[in-house]
Amino acid sequence: MKLSKFFCQIMQIAWLSKSYLKMCDLNFEVEQRYNAENMSPSGRVPFIKCGAFLISELDPIISFVNNKGISLVDKLDSSDKADMRAYMSLVNTVLGSAEMYICWCDKTCYNEVTKPRYGSVYPWPLNRYLPYQKKQQVVKKLAVLGWSQKSLDEVITIVPLPSPVPRPSDIDALLYGHLYTILTSPIPQINDKLANIIRGHEPLIKFVKHMDRKFFGRTTEVSKEYVPLVTEEADLNRTPLDHATDQQSTRGALF
Amino acid sequence: MLKIKHRELSAVQDGARSSLQGEPEMCSMKPGSAEMPKFRKSILQGVAARVDKISIDGLGRTKDDFVKEQVQDVFKARNFEEVIKKAHEARRKLDNLGCFRSVGIFIDTSRGINSTRDGLEVIFHVKEQKRIVGGVNTMVGSNEGSLVVGLKLPNLAGRGEKISAQYSYGSRRTCNFDVTFSKPLRGSLSPLFTTSIFQHASEWPSSGYKMLENGLLLDLSFFSGQNIRHNLQWEGAYRDLSCLSRSSSFQVREQSGPNIKSSVRHILSLDHRDTCIFPTRGILFQLTTEFAGLGGNVGFLKNEALLQSNLQVIRDVVVQGSLQAGLLNRVTDKAVNICDNFFLGGPLSIRGFQFRGVGTHADGNALGSDAYWAAGLHLFTPLPFRPGKGGFGEFFRSHFFLNAGSIGNVNYADDFPHNVKELTQGIRSSYGFGVALRLGSMARVELNYCVPLLVQKGDLASPGIQFGIGVNFL
Repeated sequence: MKLSKFFCQIMQIAWLSKSYLKMCDLNFEVEQRYNAENMSPSGRVPFIKCGAFLISELDPIISFVNNKGISLVDKLDSSDKADMRAYMSLVNTVLGSAEMYICWCDKTCYNEVTKPRYGSVYPWPLNRYLPYQKKQQVVKKLAVLGWSQKSLDEVITIVPLPSPVPRPSDIDALLYGHLYTILTSPIPQINDKLANIIRGHEPLIKFVKHMDRKFFGRTTEVSKEYVPLVTEEADLNRTPLDHATDQQSTRGALF
Repeated sequence: MLKIKHRELSAVQDGARSSLQGEPEMCSMKPGSAEMPKFRKSILQGVAARVDKISIDGLGRTKDDFVKEQVQDVFKARNFEEVIKKAHEARRKLDNLGCFRSVGIFIDTSRGINSTRDGLEVIFHVKEQKRIVGGVNTMVGSNEGSLVVGLKLPNLAGRGEKISAQYSYGSRRTCNFDVTFSKPLRGSLSPLFTTSIFQHASEWPSSGYKMLENGLLLDLSFFSGQNIRHNLQWEGAYRDLSCLSRSSSFQVREQSGPNIKSSVRHILSLDHRDTCIFPTRGILFQLTTEFAGLGGNVGFLKNEALLQSNLQVIRDVVVQGSLQAGLLNRVTDKAVNICDNFFLGGPLSIRGFQFRGVGTHADGNALGSDAYWAAGLHLFTPLPFRPGKGGFGEFFRSHFFLNAGSIGNVNYADDFPHNVKELTQGIRSSYGFGVALRLGSMARVELNYCVPLLVQKGDLASPGIQFGIGVNFL
């Protein structure tokens, strides 16, 4: 079944849902709105608009697409599906929280990347206030998970790196979304430790490159002297940063 | 006690004058006893009088120079009637300062070395407001009930400065507050400077959004001519719009999110009516011009005019005609938010329609427009058979009305006749009758039976009984 009009509205890097939609071979249009977060029914991005329906975040989008009769995992048996769900939740909570931590709790990253980016669309007093407000929310949320008091090094050591499974499934979309975001976001070099850990993990890099080729028709250079390829509309406002750091020293922290 | 001596007025002393017979007359007036019998008036006009001295009794922290200005006019009185009139006027001025709880007048013949033959002494007995006035009350609005805590510091530094604060907490966890500082300035135009910091939460179910507004308002009001008031305002507000429910229309959803409005406003109001509620004569004219876009990300030029005219045809039967119109121009490339648009319909504007029920709707949410006009013709009569005449019945009026209006978007790329057509072809109108009740001296309650006459596609009409409460009615 094909959905003739599949419309997607995305603010930040919404590769999670985007890659899923690509994997399902669905047509969609990407629109960037400065207030996408406020437009979303759940207050989180990304969300899709399909006719009169508005669905936000990956899980609801997956179930919405499943309801339309499209599924990536219909060949899996129920125990595999349960495993997949468990992994997805693990990736979401741990990898997602680690990203949040780096973006909002790490001082350098917050001041140099997150704050200017988040506030850039608002006029003067708001571009100071809104990032601060959002930061408070994130810190509160991370405090519940017990993350807010941790240091960056502690955070990156608790990140589990799952291995990709051979067949495309829902978790691939999720994992690709997270990994691609981490690998290509212009984080200040010293704090880009998480990306370096991932760069040191060969299967994950292979996986990202494979997904890039297969579903997005591009190649992403994620190793040394990396410059992200600007292929999508969403990438246009990115500034390519040199991600070259000493991989060797952080490789030890992997497993 | 503040004593003000008469400045020498040379011209007054000459000419015919009749002196008081017998004992010096003393007159003590209670508030509201302005009317004097006719025969007495002619006698009083013939009685020459000169105010030698004005005393103000009961001043504590209020500064002398501040009250002196208000009573200066009393010295200009030439005869006894004028003394009484001017003293009354001074009393009204003192009352308006908001510094005193009560003001009494006492007129006596002046005694002592400096007194003249027809000399009078006018004594104002004032009672100052307490330093802190406060109150706690509950309020039930259209959406929720709330607890309101108010605190007022009147006459803070002795020259009419006032700080008032109001905080309300609603049953739906909304929190509103308003802290206002005002200070009367010196000058013949009676200027008043006001500044306030506010937070205001509002819900608009008919448009599917709610708004939280935080802002600062600076206001300078002054009079030019009789009853012509000007307000010059600057408002900077941080407004956070969000959807009221998941079912809010996508057009409303698109506009949600925070924005900043910084605008200057000029309000001209001319009020010649005898009272605000149920006036019997006079006109009210109000012109509001607002330019937003000095900073912030909201920009527009908004003009709105209101004209109301009252005419008493026969005793107690008043015909009221009113006309309102508004136009919003997008003069900058900044956005215009849904909350800045004009809306029409409802018990306070075109009756017989749902609140904001006239104009474009998307999924049942009113989206508002750039331009509108609305007109109303009302006939106010006392209740049939006049129950409670002269007393409780005076709070009520029976009321027949005919409302009409239209709302639409003006496209500046289009030619002018087309825009006029847009606003004149799709006329909505309704008629009906009902009972109106006065609440205090500001608000009005209406219970009407409405019949929508002309309804356009997309409007939400609401024929039948309609209830409305508010301050400004069409």
